Amino acid sequence: MLALHHQTRRCGVNFREKVLNTESYLAERFPVEKLNYASMVEKKEVPVHRLSWAYYLGGLALFFFMIQMVTGLLLLFYYQPTVSDAHASVEFITEHVPGGALVRNLHAWCSSAMIAAVMVHLLTAFAMKAFGKPREVTWVTGVLLLGITFGLGFTGYLLPWHQIAVNATKIGLQSIEEVGNYLPGQLSTLPTLLKEIIQGEATVGQATLSRFFALHVIILPLSIVMLLGLHLFSVQIHGMSQGIDEAPKRTEKFFPTFFLKDLTVWGVAFMVLYVISVCVPFESLYSYPLFEPFNPKGSTPDGIKPEWYFYFVYYPLEILPFWVILLGSMIGGAVLLFTPWIFKNTSRRTLRVLAAAAAVYLVVMTLFGEKIYHLFKG
Amino acid sequence: MKPHLFPTIGPAVALLLGALTLGAPRALAYPEFQAQILKQSGRTVNCALCHANSDGPEGAAPGQIGHLNAAEMERLGQARGAFQPGVAVDSPILNAFGNHLIKSLGKTKFLELRVAPAQLPDALPKESDLDHDGIPDAQELRDGTHPLNRNDGNPWLLFRHNFRENFGQIVLTLAATCAGIYGLVHLLNGFANAMRLKREDGDEA
Amino acid sequence: MADAFLFVGLPYLALVVCIAGSIWKLRHAGFAATSRSSQFLESRQLLWGSAPWHIGILVILLGHLVALFLPGVWSSLMTLPGVLLAVETIGIACSLLAIAGMTMLIVRRLTSARVQAVTTVVDLVVVALLLAQVVLGLLTAISFRYGAAWSTGTVVPYFWSLFTLRPDMTYVADFPTLFKLHIVGAWLILLALPFTRLIHLLSVPFQYLFRAPQLVIWNTARRRQQAVTATVQAESRRDFLKGAAGVTAATGLLSVGVLEKGFNYFKGPRPDLEAESALLGKKLQRLQQTAEERSLELERQRSAMILVARYAELQETKGRYFIDYVMAPGLAFKGRDGVPIVLSAKCTHLGCTVGSEVDAQGRVLCPCHVSYFSVTTGEPHAGAPAKLPLPVLGWALVDAAGKVVLSRKPGGGVEGNSEPALLAQCSLYITKPGGAA
Repeated sequence: MLALHHQTRRCGVNFREKVLNTESYLAERFPVEKLNYASMVEKKEVPVHRLSWAYYLGGLALFFFMIQMVTGLLLLFYYQPTVSDAHASVEFITEHVPGGALVRNLHAWCSSAMIAAVMVHLLTAFAMKAFGKPREVTWVTGVLLLGITFGLGFTGYLLPWHQIAVNATKIGLQSIEEVGNYLPGQLSTLPTLLKEIIQGEATVGQATLSRFFALHVIILPLSIVMLLGLHLFSVQIHGMSQGIDEAPKRTEKFFPTFFLKDLTVWGVAFMVLYVISVCVPFESLYSYPLFEPFNPKGSTPDGIKPEWYFYFVYYPLEILPFWVILLGSMIGGAVLLFTPWIFKNTSRRTLRVLAAAAAVYLVVMTLFGEKIYHLFKG
Repeated sequence: MKPHLFPTIGPAVALLLGALTLGAPRALAYPEFQAQILKQSGRTVNCALCHANSDGPEGAAPGQIGHLNAAEMERLGQARGAFQPGVAVDSPILNAFGNHLIKSLGKTKFLELRVAPAQLPDALPKESDLDHDGIPDAQELRDGTHPLNRNDGNPWLLFRHNFRENFGQIVLTLAATCAGIYGLVHLLNGFANAMRLKREDGDEA
Repeated sequence: MADAFLFVGLPYLALVVCIAGSIWKLRHAGFAATSRSSQFLESRQLLWGSAPWHIGILVILLGHLVALFLPGVWSSLMTLPGVLLAVETIGIACSLLAIAGMTMLIVRRLTSARVQAVTTVVDLVVVALLLAQVVLGLLTAISFRYGAAWSTGTVVPYFWSLFTLRPDMTYVADFPTLFKLHIVGAWLILLALPFTRLIHLLSVPFQYLFRAPQLVIWNTARRRQQAVTATVQAESRRDFLKGAAGVTAATGLLSVGVLEKGFNYFKGPRPDLEAESALLGKKLQRLQQTAEERSLELERQRSAMILVARYAELQETKGRYFIDYVMAPGLAFKGRDGVPIVLSAKCTHLGCTVGSEVDAQGRVLCPCHVSYFSVTTGEPHAGAPAKLPLPVLGWALVDAAGKVVLSRKPGGGVEGNSEPALLAQCSLYITKPGGAA
């Protein structure tokens, strides 16, 4: 009787400790006492140092996302997500709707700009150790947002239903099936099943288009908005991270100084994007047969490849055995997700070197991936 | 499991049947030019550069020989007879650029150029720009871009042309953006100043 | 003759007098080279007269100057849809504003006893001239619509002919009298500028807009604090003003651009009959394609055999595309021995469609990642990205009577009679996988 009583008490103490620990953990990550005008607007400072430019990238990505929402909603008024009408409706937008070409070009160019901004944002946040305690939540939501952004790029690519769209999507989805070759026994059919679930049928067709449309227009944007809420909330409540190892010598006020600079950056970004969208149709970068309506009979046209932001995984995939890429991307994804705990004690100097190496890899693969591929494959 | 629904694969069988019944007359598409463009510009082009159908004139799909009715056949015959330049050509298997090509060169000259496909762009009229994208057809032919698609062209040339074309619009947008940022910057600055003043007043009191 | 004087002599006279006179006046009169202030004497009416007048006339003057000196920019602006209408509306509104303000100013000059004391006859002549000029301009704008557009082709060349010292009267001849009066008025005003209160045009204290507010104070601690507060207040007020101006300008420009664009975007295109029917034709064609695809699917679900081609049409060097039972593309060739070869054309690497041309080594190429497949076996070449062979499909050769002459099941061998004379009469079918052929 006594022993039992003792036991329950110990349990109770343990439990209470756990609750308290969790409470203090959460309180550190979500310091709601800072949730007031004085500390969020009046007193907030932004460090000034030679990496300060990186503080603008997140805001820039947010701005591009807002442009994507507006132009995307506009496109929704004319786009028809069916196999027979998709290409014709996109053509209708560019050829006939007043201002339609501009809206579509903005959407296309801005998607690239958004992904570029997000990627650089990730690298700089890594280099500045912006994931250090108590900013773990910011980092993890950021990585998830990156994934969703890539998802938006992938699903959006299919919607115009032209040759390059459908064929590139086919190739992309096919790599899921490849995983099956490395799984034992019964499990090896799982990836094929998964692929067909994503596609909705055995090849890329109407079901795929409907699914990608739903993902691209409703599900992924909604998840972005929700995660972005959390991300922005934790960014704002913790303020800007220090960014360099030594204490920054100078700071500037978040409001209005930093905020106004941010606004100006948005203005400049908008103008650049606008001029490019008005003047350069993004189709002009590819040869025109790729933009003909998808034609499943006859052979696939030359030059099918994904958007530039997938080159860093696409070209290695072409050169190296599949399992290397599979393993590499699994490890890469895990490291990215658990960065705040893996690199807890690493100095920012080391992180900068790592980020620079990653940046070099990305730039080289994106710019010269095709050349490297030809080097290997003749 | 029910058989899958595979809705997107094309009407190849219809095409086959069409070709079957027709015993298609052998019309020559001219791959020499296609190969030359690829060599010169690095861009792949298909038959839709000059033909009505991207798979070329042979077959039974719309824009191909197997799909023509009697009137169209007659137009095709007339077009095939346009040996001298300047004859109005309206061939049902060619697109506007293909017709323009035959009209300005004449069939004879065109066929001669098959031996020296690199000279085809120079033989075209210098000024003609069928899609009004600011790049002459001859240049588009050299670049391997479509002369009838105003979204297709050398990006830099397109940029220059469209920039000039839309200069007014760009200036207005620039003015609006600058004015907007200027206004917001001053509004927020004024707001921050007013806030500071209020805080100092509060401190004093 | 009168025209020659009014439109060539007068302009040059006015320009020379204006330039020389202004230089003389500014050098000699210094700070006095401006208009005499009467604000101390009467300020309420002045505000309601002077502000609208100056706002209205400045906007109009700015429009005139841009059209005159940057005709290219101006006319390219006018070609944008909606801009011409907006400019005309703004112009008319501003001239009404200016007329109202000027009327108020004239009434004030004529009725206020204190202002009378500082009013000269020249002042009255100048205001009358200005009022007449604006009214003439307004009447011209109303009776000859869209002056913002036509002026670049008529008045601007006339002015430039004057400026470049090659006066060209041919433009003037066509001007309506109303408009001629407006032009003459302009030269008269220019002529009068150095000798009247109009000289203040050249002595606008622009620097006031940008310099910090200056406060005159007694130097004590409390006063200093007050002064700081007052300065911050003034700065903040100036910021609000500038901000409001910027935001208003941006909103104005946006409402010209975005509203018009947005409205047209949602309104959608109104294609003419020909474009409309071309569009409809294209749509119908795509729908028919989809319908054909659907019927192909249905056929594949229902029938045990599907026609590919007549045997006579098969070639050794070029494959014939067809759609197989899983709705993927397939290829049919004639083998060297005369027996058909029927393969799936879906690349086993990443699902592209394999090409149909057979090369010298008896292979077909998948263009996506360069895999060569042997036609006879379907095997990819060594080191190809594709690892698996193209699947062999089941087929049957059926003669005119519907009897199966020769057939092959996937994985099985060729069964039946391969007499060439017999085969020539047959047609090639693919057979349903798993079904009895």
